[in-house]
Amino acid sequence: MKITIENLTKQFDNHLAVNNFSAQIESGQLVSLLGPSGCGKSTMLNMLSGILTPSQGKIWFDEDDVTDVAAEKRGVGLVFQNYALYPHMTVLENICFPLEIQRVPKAERIARAKEMAQLVHVEDLLDRLPKQMSGGQQQRVAIARALVKKPRLLLLDEPLSNLDARLRIEMREEIRRIQQSIGITTIFVTHDQEEAMSISDAIILMKQGVLQQMDKPQELYDQPKNCFVADFLGNPTINKLNAVYEGGRLLVEGMPCDIETSSVPASAPLYLSCRVESVLINQKPSSIKGTIIDTYVIGKENIANIQVGNSRVRAYIDSDSALRPTEEVTLSFKNKGVFLFDANSGERYI
Amino acid sequence: MKRWSKISFKRIEPFLYLAPFLIGIIIFTLYPIFNVFFMSFKENYKYLTGEFSGYGFDNFVQILSDPYFIQSLKNTFSYVLIVIPISTCLAIVFAVLLNQNIKLKALFQTAYFLPMVTSVTAVGMAWKFMFNYNSGLINFFLNLLGFEGINWLQIASNNFAALAIFGICNILPFIIILLLSGLQNIDPLYYTAAKVDGANTLTCFFRITLPLLAPTICMVLIVNTISTFKVFNELFPLFNGPGIAYNLFTVVYYIYYQFRGLTPPKYGLAAAAAIILFIIIFCFTMIQLYVQKKYSLEENKS
Ligand SMILES: Nc1ncnc2c1ncn2[C@@H]1O[C@H](COP(=O)(O)OP(=O)(O)O)[C@@H](O)[C@H]1O
Ligand SMILES: [Mg+2]
Repeated sequence: MKITIENLTKQFDNHLAVNNFSAQIESGQLVSLLGPSGCGKSTMLNMLSGILTPSQGKIWFDEDDVTDVAAEKRGVGLVFQNYALYPHMTVLENICFPLEIQRVPKAERIARAKEMAQLVHVEDLLDRLPKQMSGGQQQRVAIARALVKKPRLLLLDEPLSNLDARLRIEMREEIRRIQQSIGITTIFVTHDQEEAMSISDAIILMKQGVLQQMDKPQELYDQPKNCFVADFLGNPTINKLNAVYEGGRLLVEGMPCDIETSSVPASAPLYLSCRVESVLINQKPSSIKGTIIDTYVIGKENIANIQVGNSRVRAYIDSDSALRPTEEVTLSFKNKGVFLFDANSGERYI
Repeated sequence: MKRWSKISFKRIEPFLYLAPFLIGIIIFTLYPIFNVFFMSFKENYKYLTGEFSGYGFDNFVQILSDPYFIQSLKNTFSYVLIVIPISTCLAIVFAVLLNQNIKLKALFQTAYFLPMVTSVTAVGMAWKFMFNYNSGLINFFLNLLGFEGINWLQIASNNFAALAIFGICNILPFIIILLLSGLQNIDPLYYTAAKVDGANTLTCFFRITLPLLAPTICMVLIVNTISTFKVFNELFPLFNGPGIAYNLFTVVYYIYYQFRGLTPPKYGLAAAAAIILFIIIFCFTMIQLYVQKKYSLEENKS
């Protein structure tokens, strides 16, 4: 099912939680709603499920305007961060509950619930109560409960936040597998960019209720529309250097830089943002100089911390690199993964 | 020698701290309980001289053939069996309503709980006026609705109904408070989840609220069954005694009557009645605990 969101706005008392949000989600896709805590992701999701009524704007499911349709009539499945399994019902009863409300005959109800339990791999736990299961198992049951009524749209609100790191990776792959196997349109809320990057067909990045950019994960990483998007994605986070355009050339931390620029306002404060993998050390002649502060290893990667003017830059180095702290180095940049932003508006120039 | 006394002081020290309370309990609770127990078996017991003719079941035989005692058992059982279910059901409805986000919530809550901080006697006096045949509020509303007024207090056959209505309204606030605290422990997320699954208010109530409130309801039932079996205070403001024509004896009133209403007082009979009431309450509580335990065991078994 295709979902169209048109100028959606939600105002709480004096707080604008979602602001003029428009997006289109293609049928069968898994789209992540990504953004820092409090940026309005849950509010957005609750408006899609019908729990909250929008202050303004419209929501379309395919060709139907569902803006004023009640939650129970929308046919969406919802999975919560802390599962919200009914504590007094067994796994089987929990999964059956949505069907019971639809008055599906008992035999069919149980058959369908068991089918779902199989899909999410909890078929051996049907008689357990929620409190007798681990977080990962509970989350699987919650997904089965959301899917059993064959919803047209699956909404997941930070479904992995309560799980430990290893289980999180396992479960996100599970969610992707389940989503692919039934081909349901899915919106996955998360504040973890890595999670979003790894499972989504597309990512919607939000900040303070405003949509920043909607794109394929790699596109979002390679072509951020503004400074916030560039900052939010990537681990380690992107390097940010102070820059200014003066006398027809770019000064980075006061040092002239040969990056080609055009149509950049003169004298305005800028950021030159570059991905960690786009920084080259001592490879090309350049007038940008820095001092090594330290070097360290994360997994198989060697990283150097470099002081450049008033900023710090991280760069990958060879594992057999002879770079030592206090050493002077020359920095240059690859063509890819280097952006120039307005420091105030965040607008991107290159 | 010195060391020994130090150790022994350490041993008895805790009991010294407990002593004031223990002595109070022994004098005012334990001693009377044992005394009542023995008294109930003493035949022809004279309280002032302490004489009695021997131990036996004479007191029990006497009260069990006393029509007033049989009547008091009947009244007490009817009272419990009517007041407990009705008040609990009403309280569940009111508690659920008070737990909603309604306007003037605080005002309603205060209004419901006001009777709880007022004495039974004062509230009872107010009810006495409300039950008044000619000018009472209750008959006024009955008339408004097109019914004839009922002579609640002066006609013996209506006395029990008046007592039950008063009793129900009197314990309602207490139950509502307990249930409200139980309701507040239910995560609102369950209702959100159920709503998205398509459940309406009634389904939510029966499939989520009620099962999750069951432990609180169980506790309320036990506490209130015990207290309503001891119905006594309620008789005074309404009837100044056991109803018109002595038709509203309750077990506790019967006990009181054997002490205070007769000359000479029949302590043995009062003690025997107290023992019977104790056995009844004990059995009821055991049954409830058993049911509750079995219920929660079944829940944990799977
Ligand atoms: N019911 C509400 N009343 C008032 N403010 C709310 C309410 N729900 C959310 N908000 C506010 O709206 C903003 C967005 O909240 P939310 O959508 O829950 O953020 P997220 O899920 O992205 O962390 C927050 O600042 C939050 O305080
Ligand atoms: Mg949230």
